[in-house]
Amino acid sequence: MEEDHHRDREAQAVNISDPPAENNPPADTLATSLCLLGNHMFPDSVAANACSGVNRSEPASLQPSDVTAEDPGPEAEPPSNLGTESETPDCQNNLPAHSAGRGTEDAGVENDQSDSGEFVVTMLAKAKLEEQGIGVKGRSSPLLEAGIQESPPFTSHRDEDVTADSWRRHRKHVFVLSEAGKPIYSRYGSEEALSSTMGVMMALVSFVQSGDNIIRSVYSEGHTVVFLQKGPLVLVCVSSSRQSEQQLREELLYVYHQIISMLTQASISRIFEHKKNYDLRRLLAGSEKILDGLLNLVDSDPSFLLAAVHCLPLASSLRDSLSQILQKAITPNLVFSILVAKNQLLTIVQEKTVIEDARLAPADVHLLLNLIGASSAFQAGEIWTPICLPLFNPDCYFYAYISYLDPPECTVCLLLLSTDKEAFYAVAECKRKIEEAMLAQNSLSLIAKAQSYSVSQVGVSDLRHFMYKPFDVPDNHRQLTQFTSPEMEAPYGSDEEKMRLLDLYRYMHSRIHSTSRPLKLIYHVAERETLLAWVTSKFELYTCFSPLVTKTCAITAITKLLRWIKKEEDRLFIRYPPKYSTTPNPSKSSRSSRSEQQDTTDNGFLSLL
Amino acid sequence: MLMISPKMASGAQDKQYTPSLLSFFIYNPTFGPREGEEEKKILFYHPSEIEKNEKIRNVGLCEAIVQFTRTFCPTKPAKSLHTQKNRQFFFEPEENFWIVMVVRNPMIEKPNKDGKPPTIEYQEEELLDTVYGAVVRQCYSMYKLFNGTFGRVMESGGVELLIQKLEKFFYRYLQTLHLQSCDLLDVFGGISFFPLDKMTYLKIQSFVNRVEESLSLIKYTAFLYNDQLIWSGLEQDDMKILYKYLTTSLFPRHSEPELAGRDSPLRPEVTGNLLHYGRFLTGPANLKDPEAKFRFPKIFVSAEDGYEELHLIVYKAMSAAACFMISANVELTREFCEQLDGLVGPQLTLLASDICEQFTINRRISGPEKEPQFKFIYFNHMNLAEKSTIHMRKTASVCLTSVHPDLMKILGDINCDFARVDEDEEIIVKAMTDYWVVGKKSDQRELYVILNQKNANLIEVNEEVKRLCATQFNNIFFLD
Repeated sequence: MEEDHHRDREAQAVNISDPPAENNPPADTLATSLCLLGNHMFPDSVAANACSGVNRSEPASLQPSDVTAEDPGPEAEPPSNLGTESETPDCQNNLPAHSAGRGTEDAGVENDQSDSGEFVVTMLAKAKLEEQGIGVKGRSSPLLEAGIQESPPFTSHRDEDVTADSWRRHRKHVFVLSEAGKPIYSRYGSEEALSSTMGVMMALVSFVQSGDNIIRSVYSEGHTVVFLQKGPLVLVCVSSSRQSEQQLREELLYVYHQIISMLTQASISRIFEHKKNYDLRRLLAGSEKILDGLLNLVDSDPSFLLAAVHCLPLASSLRDSLSQILQKAITPNLVFSILVAKNQLLTIVQEKTVIEDARLAPADVHLLLNLIGASSAFQAGEIWTPICLPLFNPDCYFYAYISYLDPPECTVCLLLLSTDKEAFYAVAECKRKIEEAMLAQNSLSLIAKAQSYSVSQVGVSDLRHFMYKPFDVPDNHRQLTQFTSPEMEAPYGSDEEKMRLLDLYRYMHSRIHSTSRPLKLIYHVAERETLLAWVTSKFELYTCFSPLVTKTCAITAITKLLRWIKKEEDRLFIRYPPKYSTTPNPSKSSRSSRSEQQDTTDNGFLSLL
Repeated sequence: MLMISPKMASGAQDKQYTPSLLSFFIYNPTFGPREGEEEKKILFYHPSEIEKNEKIRNVGLCEAIVQFTRTFCPTKPAKSLHTQKNRQFFFEPEENFWIVMVVRNPMIEKPNKDGKPPTIEYQEEELLDTVYGAVVRQCYSMYKLFNGTFGRVMESGGVELLIQKLEKFFYRYLQTLHLQSCDLLDVFGGISFFPLDKMTYLKIQSFVNRVEESLSLIKYTAFLYNDQLIWSGLEQDDMKILYKYLTTSLFPRHSEPELAGRDSPLRPEVTGNLLHYGRFLTGPANLKDPEAKFRFPKIFVSAEDGYEELHLIVYKAMSAAACFMISANVELTREFCEQLDGLVGPQLTLLASDICEQFTINRRISGPEKEPQFKFIYFNHMNLAEKSTIHMRKTASVCLTSVHPDLMKILGDINCDFARVDEDEEIIVKAMTDYWVVGKKSDQRELYVILNQKNANLIEVNEEVKRLCATQFNNIFFLD
């Protein structure tokens, strides 16, 4: 099996170096073509057939005939693309043939199966692209560079010596393993080298479990170890960051959700139901970078802590015009149109019926933004990839169209989510409309001028930094939770000092939101700064002052700050998120399947449709 | 299982259970390194009736946890394990000797209809690691005070003797642990000092000098009044644990007869000595009794070359108590005790009434007692001085506090926050119940104030605490 896997990768690499451009008219780049190949390789029926009639002995000959026979669609892949087709056996390996046991009528299941297969293709494609140095500029995408000053040039943490002191000294380790104790992911060091450590983790989990109890955490003087069990996965964090257990568990949950966003919860449980000691790394191959990127973001970006989205400050007229552009470029089954610049939200437009009963959770947006940022492959043209929004519905895929609007800078990114996996061309057409409209209104250059603001603009001396999360937004319960925060400036200019301030905020946050002893206000005077955290029914506020500020001054400053935010709120936040109405095709919409699920008591995947 | 008053919840039948001791064990992983010999590792296990394999399993888990955390820092292994149902605290007081205490989380039992078993909800965030970690360390310190180190016992009598000693000590001691009332004061393990004017203080000092001169056998002396310390010749750490023993165990055991009054049948035969009220709290109950034994408890205190073993004589007259410590190599006789009684008894009685008088005067000066707007805890790391107006009285069995347990836990949280950085800090928080809680750390001192003015704002709270510092802390720094 392992060999197969390698062979697939090689085969793919070969394919990449020899682009099959001529057969994919709309796909103007390599990445797109690969992704398209992936998607159209395994329509439902093919996957069902391929998996039920397992015949791994002759993968090369089996596949082309299957495709031509079963997929008469206009985008059927020409058999000449042998390279990618050799992905198919991989799909078969990855997705044990459930259909054998369940019967092929289980359409929902099959659908998901093929979906995870597709994703692997996408991911592998990206990994390969990056390994080949195609469209790769170092590890971090321009998004990341602009957003969060992270990243010295990419050095692989996978090769680290796990017995070395430097490995132990990492601020935060994260491990993901299966219930059978099989390594799935480690932030630092290779999973192989850590397999015994992870085995111990699993042994601890199951030992405590055998006493009808659940392990939560272990504390030592310098470290906090937090365990989180989600379905068949066990996630462990070993942190010396002094964050609270709850915060660390939230972060593990982000990691879990990012995995779900690639594979869906249903398919993970199904895989492990079928084969307890399955090696999930096969399915996640190439996606370590996404998890690495997520963990770096979690450490450096307060959005995750606040569970809120950071919008790029923008004149409300400009934001409105962008929203209108998105609102006009629609197609059936399109549900979310999202415009992002410098890793911050510009605007988000939702389909009406979707917004009626659900709003996009900030965590889902974070995962999307991380996905875009984590891989520079997305900069290369258009991407069409299945993606699950775990908080919206953990068991089902959306199809994401991702494209940068300002190559080669690649700072403005358009994200269109559809429920229809066949809608690539229709959605690509939306992008073309959006691009045209933006060109006509000169939007790109206006966006380029937009930037985050300095705390000095507030005009309050002694105030060094703040984070403000409003609750009194119009229509709040239907809105994406947002927050605003100025740039971190001196004395928080260096990476170290930035992290220190964030750690202080994290500490205030953990105390004020303690599950057992929440507080309304914290005023903390220390030698280097004075901090104030305040939670009311209208907002949540964290401020940082110079250490010598008096309490009277701090109170005055906060009054001024709140007034300033009120004045600027149209610029700082998306105030009235626009909606549009496409003509949803209920049979294909994610939402409809979701509501069906809610009706059934079946908590897993889509039951028989 | 301890049960507190049923909560007035929806069904009015929810039962709330306070944290309780699930198990307490001591092991040494080097004692049974081979498979099949695991039982030899276990030196003490409470409750003892637990089945052997279960004991071995639980010790095994602790070993695994400790070993696991060493992967990430070889020198700082695990201190606690949190699970849904309980918390385990690990302490390695001497190399390879591990003490483990398992405390069940507080829980709420919610009855179910239709005769189904009740739902149990564990409150996982209620126990503070700092508090219970301190309790485990205290257990060891108390053992060590009366038995010396594990290593010393091993040297003199091997594992058998150690097992015997542990059994004897912890069997009784664990019954006195009251885990539901442990709080910030256990973290400090401080000493409450009796506030005194200079004159009276000098009188006590000269009393101590005189006694030590006349009875040259006495190596160390400690003097207490009203359960508060005035003078000590011991090292701070030894005094700290001795103070804990005196105030939570020895004194409360003897206080009831005293309170019962002279004519009460409860009061032990006072041997017609009308000259003074002095009596031995350790050793002979009645000197006139021809059968009287002159055996005193032995304690171990630190000395230049390790530890020294001492007789502990505690002698009390009214509210004044003096502790005299004499080398254990000397045998204490009836003659010595009579001599001590004759010398110390009358003087201590006199001193006790002097102090009492002085105390009443001071109280009158400081004005009539009225319910203050605040309650506070003060602790000084340098001299271990502690003062609390939150705790009514700490006895062997109960520790009464006058504030809501949640507020006490907020104090504990603030204390943890102070430990994060070694610098002066001030933290003011407003609880959900609108109480204000203020923590101040300056140099080695910590002050925690709970304010009852719910409508006050931050600035008013600040003023109030300033005033408190100005009025309350003039005479508390008397030993600084």
